[in-house]
Amino acid sequence: MKRNTLLLAALSLVAGARAADLPAMWAERVKCTVAVEYVTQTELERRPTIAYGTVVDSDGTIILPSAAIDLRISPKQLRDFKVYLPGDPEGTPAEYLGRDAFTGWHFVRAGAAVRERLVPVTRFAGPGGPAEVGLADDVWGIGIRNKDEDFTPYILKSHVALLQLLPQRTAISQQEVAGPGLPVFDSAGRFVGIGSSSFGQTFLEFSSSDRGGSPVMLVNIEESSAFLVASEVLPYVGRIPKNPFGRPLAWLGAYGLEPMDREVASFLKLQSQSGAVVSEVLEGSPAEKAGLKAHDIVLGVDGKALPRFKPDRVVVDYIERLIAARLPGDTMTLTVLRGTASLDLKAELAEEPRLVREANRVYFERIGFTAREFVYGDAIARHSKTGDLTGVVAHLVKPNSPADIAGLRPDDWIKEIDGAEVKDIDSALVTLAAIESDLLRKETVFLVRRGSDTAVLRIKLR
Amino acid sequence: MSGGFERLLDSVVRIDVREMNFEDGARRIDASIGSGVILSQDGLILTNAHVAGPKAVEINVTLSNLERVGARLIGWDHWTDLALLRINLDDVKRRGLTFKHADFGDSDKLYVGETVFAVGTPHGLTRTVTRGIISNNNRYFEDTEGVDGYETGNFNTWLQTDAAINPGNSGGPLVTDDGKVVGITSRAYLGANNLGFAIPSVTAKRIVAGLVRDGTITRSYVGIVPKALQDLEGFYDVATNTGVLVDSVEAGSPAAEAGLKAGDILLSVDGKKLDGRFPEELPPIQNMIATEPVGSSLAVTYKRSAREETVSLVTTRLESRMGEEWVSDTWGVGVRKVSRAYARENQLTGDTGVLVIGVQRGFPAEVAGLARGDIITRINDSPVASLDVMRTIDAAYAAKPTPTLLEVQRERRVSLVVLKP
Repeated sequence: MKRNTLLLAALSLVAGARAADLPAMWAERVKCTVAVEYVTQTELERRPTIAYGTVVDSDGTIILPSAAIDLRISPKQLRDFKVYLPGDPEGTPAEYLGRDAFTGWHFVRAGAAVRERLVPVTRFAGPGGPAEVGLADDVWGIGIRNKDEDFTPYILKSHVALLQLLPQRTAISQQEVAGPGLPVFDSAGRFVGIGSSSFGQTFLEFSSSDRGGSPVMLVNIEESSAFLVASEVLPYVGRIPKNPFGRPLAWLGAYGLEPMDREVASFLKLQSQSGAVVSEVLEGSPAEKAGLKAHDIVLGVDGKALPRFKPDRVVVDYIERLIAARLPGDTMTLTVLRGTASLDLKAELAEEPRLVREANRVYFERIGFTAREFVYGDAIARHSKTGDLTGVVAHLVKPNSPADIAGLRPDDWIKEIDGAEVKDIDSALVTLAAIESDLLRKETVFLVRRGSDTAVLRIKLR
Repeated sequence: MSGGFERLLDSVVRIDVREMNFEDGARRIDASIGSGVILSQDGLILTNAHVAGPKAVEINVTLSNLERVGARLIGWDHWTDLALLRINLDDVKRRGLTFKHADFGDSDKLYVGETVFAVGTPHGLTRTVTRGIISNNNRYFEDTEGVDGYETGNFNTWLQTDAAINPGNSGGPLVTDDGKVVGITSRAYLGANNLGFAIPSVTAKRIVAGLVRDGTITRSYVGIVPKALQDLEGFYDVATNTGVLVDSVEAGSPAAEAGLKAGDILLSVDGKKLDGRFPEELPPIQNMIATEPVGSSLAVTYKRSAREETVSLVTTRLESRMGEEWVSDTWGVGVRKVSRAYARENQLTGDTGVLVIGVQRGFPAEVAGLARGDIITRINDSPVASLDVMRTIDAAYAAKPTPTLLEVQRERRVSLVVLKP
């Protein structure tokens, strides 16, 4: 009986909201959204990108979805951040604060000039914690048009068709309900979630000129039909990174987790248990120190069995989020199956070794390539001992440059320059700068490692 | 036309090969057509390794009188792209068939511009003669997957001709106007005009002798990848036409164990001075080492910086990157044994395992999610050290299907899958 009453109360609230003017609610909530433009500046080009974000506090902090910025790009190459208010062609400079590993969000802060025109989405969180959505609930959200249309905002409406754990609780609506990174609200105007990336619907486009021709299948990347529910968003909006690299980053060092499917679980008499196979245990990592071995199957973390997800592979993200939620120095107990024995291994997480996007790099115009510091991940990728971080990586090779003509390829590991071993990036930069500035020099000879082979490359400079 | 040339025409055969392939995860027979030349009255036929190899299950040759007769493989050598067949002589005798044989000429005496003829079966057009000249008599060309995935060209240079060479010419002879075989036509550039290549007769003669004697060609391996020294003599401070550059030393090879490194300059082997200034000079140097008996101890003198040193290294047997293939009909999966060379090339930790080369739709392997490129490293509790391990378990499964656990490596990721009836 009590339950019925609650239901009735909810219905009347919805009805009340309908009566309230949806366009008016929309107009107020559009102030929670912005378009963010930034430039990726590489050695050879400047490439602008536009993403959409949601304002989360009164300091002008904006969150962008993980896919808004390519993780392989060094934050040092991200330039000229600008924030645009919907419908306004004038941009205001903004600052990139970094990416939070746990949520995957990029944080950007709008310049002081526009802050007072922004409204944090938390203002619409509603009383009593994050608003929940249920099946068939009507929801609406905001989309933003492109720069050539002055980022004009518009409204999208749908209803919740499915709720899934991926591993975060995600609502999937029948149609597109918001731009990726833009907020979704319920009929009462309460914030209920943020549009996810890569959940645009596919559609067929028929050519107008070639009427009998085959249609092209396209994916709508500007709008999403899925959103992370409010309870997966609001508790974490304060996770503003302390630096552009998102350090500190907790690191376990169990490489290549692969989900265990139901057939394998039942073969191993684990019934409905979920798990992940460890492909490799990285050298010197907390996982190695804890005694984890390649081919162990992780079944639980901190005494709790891993939940089952649909599809199976979501369990990998689940474990990675458990790690990302912690700090270096925190512990994590893994319950693993090794052969027929079940073991509990206690790992003390460490700071993640320097990443490729953090690596020092310098472009040498005359030779025609970028020398990049060789980091831990490079050694792993090359099946090499991580104790030996000598040499530098050819990060970029300029087309038709002397380096390109000599056969240098991106990702080549340069071990020797002119017959001398390359100790580290600093000494390599000194050597290369001397070569580059010696205009009388005819050639330089690199010894590079590529896969299982090496090659001697003569780079002709004159 | 010379009498020799007419005789040659009567020694050229069309070769129809049916071979077994496992790349769909099932036994599939593919048919192809090539050419060949009869070398002796006891019915030896020389052709290309990419025409007839160990996968052949049926070989038929069409003689110049258009009679068809069976043949079998004596041996092959993909490194030089040559294979040797023997005609079914009993059948020849019983049916009273006759054929002629051709003789080798000396490919070393060919001059650029000399007229040559290619005889063969292009696109199935039996006994087609095309004419051209020797365009180059010392062409360097090697390919790690050139003969159906097998390596080729490391130990010989090639004759280049503008005589029209088309698919089906493969294995046919390249001859001078007296009908002497100076080469075996092997390949042509697709999309180019009149750029054909043939294995020189000096190489072919040696390979034929080896295949007749042993059925196979055994070579020595040291694990050095050489590179031409041209333009680098100044950098390495060596006289022109001296030595060959070590571009790469293969991990775990005799050269690696002897301490040789990339960037070393090999000066001599067993006192024989080396000259690898140009790429064309590399195959003879490789061949010199390869023709040493397996297990030979070679005295290798090399230069590193200003220092010269001599080390001794013991050769091992050269192996191909391609392992033996097999198909499990019960699971619907075609596999190839991981070879040591393949493991090294792909930086695998060892040569345990079989590479999946094909899966059949709807069969247990495909249903469990296996795909081309996966490496099966363990089945139930047994590491897959050989194809026999898999054959044994497969036979037990075929007799009594029970769920079977496979450990699979995909790139560097390890996953478990269960095969079920």
